[in-house]
Amino acid sequence: MKLIIPFVFLFFVLTSCQKEKITIGTNVSETFYLDNNGASMRLLVEGNTSSHTFLVFVHGGPGTGSFIYNTPYISQNIENKYAVVYWDQRNAGASQGNSNGDHLNLPQMTDDLKKVVQLIKHRYGQDSGIFILGHSFGGLLTASFMTKDDNQSMVKGWIFADGSHNYPLNDSLTRQMLLAFGQQQVIQNRNADSWKIIIQYCNTHTSNFTFEESNQLFAYATNAETNFKKVEEINLATLLQDDPVKNDWPITSILLNLRYSSDAQFNRDLANTEFSSMLGVVTTPTLLLCGKYDFICPEGLEEDVYNRINTTDKKIVISPISGHNIMLQDESFFCKEVNTFIESHQ
Amino acid sequence: MRFLKLYLVLLISSCSIHCFSQSADSVWVEKKSSNLSSSYISSLIYPGARLGVELPVNTIYISKIRKSGKTRVFTKDRFVTANLSWYHHPAFHDNVYLSVGWTMRRTKSNGFMTEFSPEVGLSRTFLAGTTYRVDDNGNVSIKKRAGYYYTLFSVGGGIGYDFSITQRKPFSIFSKFNVLMMFPYNSTIYLRPVVEIGLIYKPFGFLSLKVKSKSRTK
Repeated sequence: MKLIIPFVFLFFVLTSCQKEKITIGTNVSETFYLDNNGASMRLLVEGNTSSHTFLVFVHGGPGTGSFIYNTPYISQNIENKYAVVYWDQRNAGASQGNSNGDHLNLPQMTDDLKKVVQLIKHRYGQDSGIFILGHSFGGLLTASFMTKDDNQSMVKGWIFADGSHNYPLNDSLTRQMLLAFGQQQVIQNRNADSWKIIIQYCNTHTSNFTFEESNQLFAYATNAETNFKKVEEINLATLLQDDPVKNDWPITSILLNLRYSSDAQFNRDLANTEFSSMLGVVTTPTLLLCGKYDFICPEGLEEDVYNRINTTDKKIVISPISGHNIMLQDESFFCKEVNTFIESHQ
Repeated sequence: MRFLKLYLVLLISSCSIHCFSQSADSVWVEKKSSNLSSSYISSLIYPGARLGVELPVNTIYISKIRKSGKTRVFTKDRFVTANLSWYHHPAFHDNVYLSVGWTMRRTKSNGFMTEFSPEVGLSRTFLAGTTYRVDDNGNVSIKKRAGYYYTLFSVGGGIGYDFSITQRKPFSIFSKFNVLMMFPYNSTIYLRPVVEIGLIYKPFGFLSLKVKSKSRTK
């Protein structure tokens, strides 16, 4: 009997952690989960919830997780004004589940995002102003969200940062950019040997890219930005500098989820996915951010979105020192543009 | 095929000859008490606790005569263990897991011990936050006791000191490094390193079991 008492006590302690707690304040940090079709997805809300304005980060990958965006700079320069929602998509970051790989697909994730928005409004009030920010693969996911049904009416603004809404176009633009920059670099004799390999690959693979070719272009694009000194290199070591222990990162979950999602079958389905043809339905104010040295999602993608959405309230801005991670590589530029956009549309 | 059989027979015979050469064994049955263990478990900074029972299976007392003429004496114990463990990872989950294992422990005559223990079990996580469901009409509800069941495997090894050998006190202290593996976790696996520091208490006459013991001189 004496042995049972501590475990009965433990059971109550465990379940008490799940009691609903909603905080309205200027320096909030609270975690809750959305359970949807086999996945329990983590949402971390930080910052100024009393503003009733929420910026939802829709991360890349698939499978990268949202922890990387929760930097001290964003905490000090966006969270002080608005609340930021760091959402781990299914099979990413701290999101949990059992055998749920069958549900890892774009329509399901679009439904997840819709429910994230509905949940934030439920917790913090239906009058909450919500802005969604899609980075990299998050660009595809937010494009899917914005063009489906009447979803866009749930948000006040769409921020597209180094995103991709059209994978076939993405591959063509990456190839073009690698060729253009590569030829310049060879002429200037900068990393000529590695650029020559890339140029040769691009010259022999010109269009109708297979999934494997697309992955190879991605690999070249990832390395390409590291050849430019003005672009800050982002790798696992730099990300881990943000004190993962202090921020309670479940590191093995993040890494194993990333590995599973990036190798998952649905990446093959995404290879032919595009939303260019549907963007005409978007009438929501849109901010498009891009790094000049982003070879992974070149600025031509932002231009395509800009030209196709059906609103005059749109702006495209390019960071001159950033690669694929504008929020990390040009933090002041990113925060200034995001804050200005939210301020004028909240 | 015939050659293969012959080869296998020779291989097994040579192994047996090699392993048991120059050994003198005596076997008997003795009654041994079970042990209770409790420990603090931790992954990085995240705390947890563990309670367990060790049921003795067999013991081998070994005396090894070295080339120098000195005799080295140590004991090999085998236990079936049952453990209830819990850890807390803020903003992620709490995990309660029940496991059974096979512990192989070797204790020297000076009390120093090493052990290795594979375990298998069942884990139940509790998500570290309110968990919501949103239906297709946008209605939101709270999911109670949200979390998941996982199959769990664990392997661990460690060192310790048995005070019953040198000081006749009925306890040992130990430190172990374990790796937990849970699955299916998001259709893949979840790994977690766990450091354990604890105490094994050996109450006299507690759950006494008849154990096959062996004495071996090499």
